[in-house]
Amino acid sequence: MTEHTRTEEAQAAGATPDIPTPAGSPPAEHAGRPPAEELPGRGARIGATLFKFQSLFGLVLVFAAAAALSPSRDGELVFLDSQNLFNVVRSISEIGILAVGMTLVILIGGIDLSVGSVLGLASVGAATLLVNNDLGVTFTVLLVLGIGLGFGLLQGFSVAKFGIQAFIVTLAGMQIARGLARIWSGGQGISITYGDGPGQAPVVFSLLGERTFNGLVPIPALIFIVVAVLAIVLLRVSAFSRHIYAIGGNEKAARLSGVPVTRVKIAVFGICGVLAALAGLVHAGQLNFGAPNDGAMYELDAIAAVVIGGTSLMGGRGSVVGTVAGALLVGVLRNILALNNIDSNIQLLIIGLVIVLAAGLQRLRPASVSS
Amino acid sequence: MDGKPGASVDMIGVSKSYGGVHAVREVDFSIRPGEVHALLGENGAGKSTLMKVLCGEVSGYRGEIRIGGQPVALGSPVDAQRAGIAMIHQELDLVPALSIAENVFLGREPRTRLRTVDVRRMVRDTARLLARAGVRLDPRRPVEQLRTGEQQLVTIAKALSLDARILIMDEPTSALSSHEVEQLFGVISELRGAGTGIVYISHRMDEIGRVADRATVLRNGSVVAEFDARSMTAAEASEAMVGRPLHQMFRTSAHRPVLEAEELLRVENLVVIPRRPRAGRRDPAGISLRVRRGEIVGLAGLLGSGRTELLETLFGVGLRGRWHGRVLLADRPVRPTGPRQALGLGIAFVPEDRRIAGLALEHSVLANTVLSVVGRIARLGVVSRSTEQTLTRRTTDRLSVKLASLNSPVGSLSGGNQQKVVLGRGLLTEPTLLLLDEPTRGVDIGAKAEIYRLLGQIASQGVGVLLASSEPAELIGICDRVVVLRGGRSVRELETDGVSEAALLAAVMGEGAMGEGARPEPALGEAG
Repeated sequence: MTEHTRTEEAQAAGATPDIPTPAGSPPAEHAGRPPAEELPGRGARIGATLFKFQSLFGLVLVFAAAAALSPSRDGELVFLDSQNLFNVVRSISEIGILAVGMTLVILIGGIDLSVGSVLGLASVGAATLLVNNDLGVTFTVLLVLGIGLGFGLLQGFSVAKFGIQAFIVTLAGMQIARGLARIWSGGQGISITYGDGPGQAPVVFSLLGERTFNGLVPIPALIFIVVAVLAIVLLRVSAFSRHIYAIGGNEKAARLSGVPVTRVKIAVFGICGVLAALAGLVHAGQLNFGAPNDGAMYELDAIAAVVIGGTSLMGGRGSVVGTVAGALLVGVLRNILALNNIDSNIQLLIIGLVIVLAAGLQRLRPASVSS
Repeated sequence: MDGKPGASVDMIGVSKSYGGVHAVREVDFSIRPGEVHALLGENGAGKSTLMKVLCGEVSGYRGEIRIGGQPVALGSPVDAQRAGIAMIHQELDLVPALSIAENVFLGREPRTRLRTVDVRRMVRDTARLLARAGVRLDPRRPVEQLRTGEQQLVTIAKALSLDARILIMDEPTSALSSHEVEQLFGVISELRGAGTGIVYISHRMDEIGRVADRATVLRNGSVVAEFDARSMTAAEASEAMVGRPLHQMFRTSAHRPVLEAEELLRVENLVVIPRRPRAGRRDPAGISLRVRRGEIVGLAGLLGSGRTELLETLFGVGLRGRWHGRVLLADRPVRPTGPRQALGLGIAFVPEDRRIAGLALEHSVLANTVLSVVGRIARLGVVSRSTEQTLTRRTTDRLSVKLASLNSPVGSLSGGNQQKVVLGRGLLTEPTLLLLDEPTRGVDIGAKAEIYRLLGQIASQGVGVLLASSEPAELIGICDRVVVLRGGRSVRELETDGVSEAALLAAVMGEGAMGEGARPEPALGEAG
């Protein structure tokens, strides 16, 4: 026997204060990072919060910078004028609505490239049904939303049931929706005129271009805010949201845990489709025009807002709060650059850099930050 | 390689900390040529970190590493490779879509004169390496079609191809059947004879005594004991690892009155003929067994004997196809078509690989624990945060999961605690039948004992447990009966009272196998 036990020494070593690990909870060795089984310090917690809501902090920073760089008129900062601020919200309302739906799809590890085309289709649908078919506003809205829902559900069905990648299904959906929009409109934009006569849309629909609360809050901004709040609440409290995150985190584990994976996926694509159609209605209402070619590239702007918002394209991690902040951040940036008369091409450069920066920050995010 | 084979490697006073926490501290560890040095310790004791230092996978360690007496700096995996150090990782680092041969020679493909990849030579050499590792597989098969155990053997073949001077094996047998373990031991003694130094990390005590010369035990990052591995007893080693005398590892035969208990599950001559058969799967081809309430029944068998497939079929996640025979749950014929239905019938399943099929590692302990029941505890689709917290807290307390907070990512827990979370999620569904596939794989010895204790406790509450395992000691230790599967059929049934591990092994490998060594072994997943 060459046994040589050094138990006492080791126990003495284990008692020194710089091993904070409580007895029986060893550091996770395979993780290759600080173990989380010991309580994180306050610094770590603050760091975690910063990363979790990076886009919110980014928004605050950009907002502050915008206020500082704002031109002034009559001694007032133009940027901070409430009219201007609500214009910012309105300017991102369509992309924002799309981005909320996109967030849900990305959270389950999917992507929806069709939203821009569905927006175009919906705007054509709204104009055609109101003007050419003399359908009332209620029916028009319901029918257009129904088209968006059906379109999304079909895509979701193809993804969930046949296991085709979402990228491919929605790439096809993007072409199909655009084609349908052009066929339905005959390739021409459809102007919406308001009135009581045949071929005229009920005046109610024109509210989409108006402002409420003493002419302060644009209706599209209001719709966006309502959609965002609903989605945030949904993701916070519902069993559905737990299922969404679980599917994105580990689809196989979710399935084995009894999560109705197929149903949840189809539903998420359905919701994304409805929101795309809603954005299309807002689009038609703001422009008084059904535009078959509009909405191109909107899907990418929506994805950009989601990414800046810190949602992982791998799924399972992210939030609608982040997305809303991401969309607002882009809106504020564009606004302040425009107020300072900076060339719109430069704006593109800057927004591109912001996207890279946001994604880079996510890479730095410590793995111990829970979703 | 800059040193000659036969130089020993010495790690002297090596420390490595992550964010102020010492993963290893002041460790002396040496490997002599032609020696198998076992490295023992619970999960989190620092074994992997120490070995990652040696492989150049972590930088910023303190201390010195000498090869043949010369200090060396191992700042990157390339340095370590040049020094002739290779490691077989616990996480199998294979590219799923590539073939076995392409994986084995990844990054150092043999070339023809035209600088194209010499596929023929690659396949031929791989076949030879696989044969040395004791597995018969077509080198052209994509790795993704292989079972976990076969993938493990492929990584071993890959390591053999490196002709390393020091070979580190991190849990090389965790997914191997007993038969394959024997073959691996053959490979190890061959390497040892050729002068290779081997570091052998394992949780399986019985293996250490057979394969290793020396054993070093780590606890909380420090060396706490060194043993002569041949004369070391499992009890000595376990006590050094956990730092206290290990109480009864397996549940005491707390004579539960199972024999009179009513029957819970009856499988009668079950045959599944898949509509679209998949290569490498062994779907049930004639399985009969019973599980009573409160009984723990083991499923034994070689890799590819159909243990996992049977559990999957019972949980409704097997391949779709025609069924023959019957499955009765509490006397009612059932045929689960998916996890939701199975859970609704009171069947819970703990899958084999918790990282792949069990957990969303980035998500919190809470989210993972309540996942199966969030739908049930929701009112009008709304889940109350406090209900979730209560349920999770109750589960983690019951299973004594060690964690900082319910919101910690589950991936930050040790393997044993992760496994408890998967088990706890199943238990929250209040199952009457619990299916477990290798529930203690890659789990340290302390957590293992706790899981055994829990299973005994769960069974004593009247739950029927069906447990697939490759560890004879585990099957005999905690099961009331063991059903042996071979080629998708149930071929034997053993009461575990008084059965020796050797007898069980013999039953698993086939009665005749011991006598006629020349006969090719069945299975190894070549089922079609």
